Amino acid sequence: MRLRTDDDIYRARLVYLGPPGYTLPVQLPYAQYGLFVLLVPFYMFLHWLLTFQGPDLFPAWEIALAMVTTSLVFRYVDPDRPARMVIRTALTDWRHTREPRHEQRDARFVARRIRIREELG
Amino acid sequence: MTRRGFDAETAGVDDDQATWIDYDGGLQAVAEGGRVAVLHGGGSDVPDDVDSPFLGLVEAPSGPREGKNGSTARRDTTQLTVEPTGRILAAPNADSDRNGAALPGADALDPPTGASRVREPGDRPAADRTLPAQPTRKTERAVARTQEAPPPHGRSPLGKIPRPRHRDRDPAVELAITEIAGHLTFTPNSVTAWYWLPEVRWAFRPDAEREALLSAISEQYAGLAGFRIHLRRTTRPFPADQWARVVDAHAPNPLPAVPGAPSWSDHLVAAQRHLLSVNHAEGQTYLGITFARRTLGDTFSEKVGRLFGKGVSGGERRRMARTIEQFDEVLGAFGMRGRRVTVEELEWLLYRSVALCMQPPVALSPVDNGTWERGDLLALTEQIERYRTPYGSTVKLVNRMTGEERHVAVLTVGRMEPLDIPERHEPWMHFHERLPWAMELSSRVDILGPSDSFRNLEHRLRLIRSQQVDYAEHGIDAPPELERLAKRALTIGDDITTGLPVDSSRAHGWHRIAVSGRTREECLERARRLTQLYSREMRISLQHPKNQDWLAREFIPGEPLANTGYLRRMPIKLFAAALPQAASTVGDRRGDLIGRTAGTCRRPVFLDLHFPMEVRERSGLAVFVAEPGGGKSTLLGALGYLAARRGVQVTLLDPSGPLARLCSMPELAPYSRVLNLTGSEQGTLAPYALIPTPQRSHFTTGPSGDREFEIAVSNARAERRMLVQDICMMLVPPQVAREASTATLLRHAVRQVPAEETSTLDDVVTLLHSIGDDESRELGNLLLDTAEMPLATLFFGSPASGALSSDTALTVITMAGLRLPDLKIEREYWSAEESLALPMLHTAHRLAVRRCYSGEMHRRKLVGLDEAHFMEGWRSGRSFLVRLARDSRKWNLAALVASQNPRDILGLDVQNLVSSVFVGRIAEDTEIAAEALRLLRVPTGVGYEQTLAALSQVDASSQARLGFREFVMRDVDGRVQKLRVDVSYVPDLLKYLDTTPTAAGPAPVLPPIQPHDPED
Repeated sequence: MRLRTDDDIYRARLVYLGPPGYTLPVQLPYAQYGLFVLLVPFYMFLHWLLTFQGPDLFPAWEIALAMVTTSLVFRYVDPDRPARMVIRTALTDWRHTREPRHEQRDARFVARRIRIREELG
Repeated sequence: MTRRGFDAETAGVDDDQATWIDYDGGLQAVAEGGRVAVLHGGGSDVPDDVDSPFLGLVEAPSGPREGKNGSTARRDTTQLTVEPTGRILAAPNADSDRNGAALPGADALDPPTGASRVREPGDRPAADRTLPAQPTRKTERAVARTQEAPPPHGRSPLGKIPRPRHRDRDPAVELAITEIAGHLTFTPNSVTAWYWLPEVRWAFRPDAEREALLSAISEQYAGLAGFRIHLRRTTRPFPADQWARVVDAHAPNPLPAVPGAPSWSDHLVAAQRHLLSVNHAEGQTYLGITFARRTLGDTFSEKVGRLFGKGVSGGERRRMARTIEQFDEVLGAFGMRGRRVTVEELEWLLYRSVALCMQPPVALSPVDNGTWERGDLLALTEQIERYRTPYGSTVKLVNRMTGEERHVAVLTVGRMEPLDIPERHEPWMHFHERLPWAMELSSRVDILGPSDSFRNLEHRLRLIRSQQVDYAEHGIDAPPELERLAKRALTIGDDITTGLPVDSSRAHGWHRIAVSGRTREECLERARRLTQLYSREMRISLQHPKNQDWLAREFIPGEPLANTGYLRRMPIKLFAAALPQAASTVGDRRGDLIGRTAGTCRRPVFLDLHFPMEVRERSGLAVFVAEPGGGKSTLLGALGYLAARRGVQVTLLDPSGPLARLCSMPELAPYSRVLNLTGSEQGTLAPYALIPTPQRSHFTTGPSGDREFEIAVSNARAERRMLVQDICMMLVPPQVAREASTATLLRHAVRQVPAEETSTLDDVVTLLHSIGDDESRELGNLLLDTAEMPLATLFFGSPASGALSSDTALTVITMAGLRLPDLKIEREYWSAEESLALPMLHTAHRLAVRRCYSGEMHRRKLVGLDEAHFMEGWRSGRSFLVRLARDSRKWNLAALVASQNPRDILGLDVQNLVSSVFVGRIAEDTEIAAEALRLLRVPTGVGYEQTLAALSQVDASSQARLGFREFVMRDVDGRVQKLRVDVSYVPDLLKYLDTTPTAAGPAPVLPPIQPHDPED
């Protein structure tokens, strides 16, 4: 039997070409726009936290930072590595970018409280 | 590590360095001092590529130690037994009762001191070994600091420990599972039912059978649509001690010990050590079905219940009973044949998942008579520390109690190319077993039914279509792949909507493989080799993602999914073809260790040649077929040796004679004898005396017994006549034998002579002379002419009484110096000596078997017949083998018949009576290979011929002799598997069995060039 996965269908690259009647000069995946849209308010919030000033009319810095962050994140994203995993790894392991010498102890997984019953009934 | 000096030509040398145990005869010292034999090359000297968690089970070679238990397997001098976890107990008390099987209980529970101390990894810092067994918060921190920076030699350790830059998180997290009830596990959100999937046979099965199996499993998975399943495969070390006890129980009268030679106990201990050192692990496959979402009320009532010591409410459990019965029904059918797991198995799985790839707990894993209470195993999870590094490629696990350190890398299945299963590829989750270290698997899979699959796919199709429309609207050429993918989505959608549920269901899941090593480098190297193997052979790209700690956690039942990346979406058939439960077991589990399987995985192979008769009630005829140099004589000799050690009466017929060297082995020498026919007395091969007369006592009492007895006596007479006619035909020149009158005259004469044991060939000659006819007189004279040759006198006259006594354990019959004829050459061109060799071989076969009929009927006997192809073409030859096969059950006689060509056995038409078959390398002729496959009952013409040609393949670039021999073996239960013979655990056996002519003197030590394993 020749058996194959359906993965290629899900691997199709879906990009946003632009609004009707206008084609954007660069075609980026939809997910990048999504992340960008989330990051701009995030950076605006950070800005507010730092300065306690209201948002600018045109948040240029925030947009620039969001674009850089988005492109950085999507350097590591592919169909098998979703964006949220890349972001999560970056958030937990931001300290080093290569194998460090020091290691940290993680929480042990213990099974102390599991109740055992021989039969279901 | 040094390699023991034996010759490479002999079979049984593994390619793994780990199996090259240098035995120094220390077992004798053990016997005298009650200490354990010293093995060179076990334990920590084991090479990198055969390490696994179980290797730690083997004792450190340099640490002779004393056992605490006085119980053992044998009653003679050396009271040794290997405990299941690798601890080998030595009890100097010679009076110990053999029935007091070694109990691992008491001292096994001791902390790692004395005999039960577990070998520590060599690279661990010394500070770790002093960790206290009882953890406190303080010590835990100390451990963490110690792990961070091992102090350099000569400095104060405190001065160099860096200050932790961040606080530890909560040092212990409870598992999500809150309760185990029967085979169910409860987490706050869900309930999972666990099933045990037994191993299924895969190798050498016809493709139709394999496809039927995969289809059945697919249907079973399709029946689980809508549920998330967790497929886990873990391992357990082979219970060597249980096997040793079984072997011992089945050997009531092993050979008594000989001073200066390994005793029976030593023999068993060596076998157990070997088993443990070659790292055999048995796979265990569990399937969990998460089938119920728990409501808030359920969780709340459980919490209230726990306050009163009750746990999950009875109502909730009863509610599930109906669904669970459906699972039982679905999974129990042909295909998976799953059964509910027991609580013990769930505990085992949980422990093995927390302590991923680590050594199993001391004295628990394979013990069936331990004193462990419920939950003890789970409590051991507290000892497992986990360490991670940011962006680390491995996660480190440390067992605080034993000091074991393990680095684990979790790989995930990435892009998969189309697979042809079963035609070209092996099951893709079974394939990892090719590598010689144990790995763990975990698959979390959502089974989607037809409607879910279609909805999922349709959504994706719409996205693709929309993208195509976008491109059209913007006037840009769409990438061609979009159209191709849209077409494929349409085709699959059509299959889903119109096909059967089994075709339309989909399995969307995450598949992980955990690889481990003693150091991070070793672990990563193994991960690299595994990735390479999968990429090369299976066209599957294994990925090594970050966040290893989360991935390792995913192996624990009930814990959340690590990440959603590397989701593989596949038809249910492809998921069924993962088949992690495939195995390649062969042989019985009560016989001697003869090697390991060499196909898709490595399992020990045991063979008790009396198993077919005593348990399966089948014939004991075993056939060995191989080209010259294929190792059949060596295997025959090794089986003879192993059987003789167990107290079986062994007779080996080896015309060329090298097996006679077995009789000079120190442990066998007092109980063995060589009978060289070329120097024997007159009448030794007298044909009439070779067929024993049945005895009345061997039949049941009563009229039916009388009748059977009479029939047997008549049959014996008829057989004698047939044999005598054939022998006479072989003795006279072929031109005379071809004449019709010769056969008539001989038949007439033989009919006149009473067909009793006391008759002789001389009687036949006398009768031929007395007929008065010229032709008959001439025939008589021709026979007398033959009798003038010294060797032919063996046929004439009566045999001396007691020529073959039954008291020797091993008798080797040889015909040293006799030149055997080439059967391809016409008989006319044979020399006189070669002409005589033919009847001699015929009668020698009879003689070897004759000895087996003289003793007690139910006593275990073994007869090994080399060069059986000389029997083909003669009536008496076929009747001999048929009779041998039929009598084998009645007389408890294991008959091993070796031949160079399967045609010889097929030509005798006795293949239906054959219970075990060993086929060695056959590379010269594909037709012969096809016939060998027929003997194995394996489909021909589908590529297995190449498998036979590839057996015992020599590395052309190597100048060394091949150090092992491989066979394809079919056992009495019809299981077929590739076997690599390995009897190197028996000291010096291979040296004595070396049949290669160049090694006349002491066997040369092989150069250190290792035979390359094609699998590695």
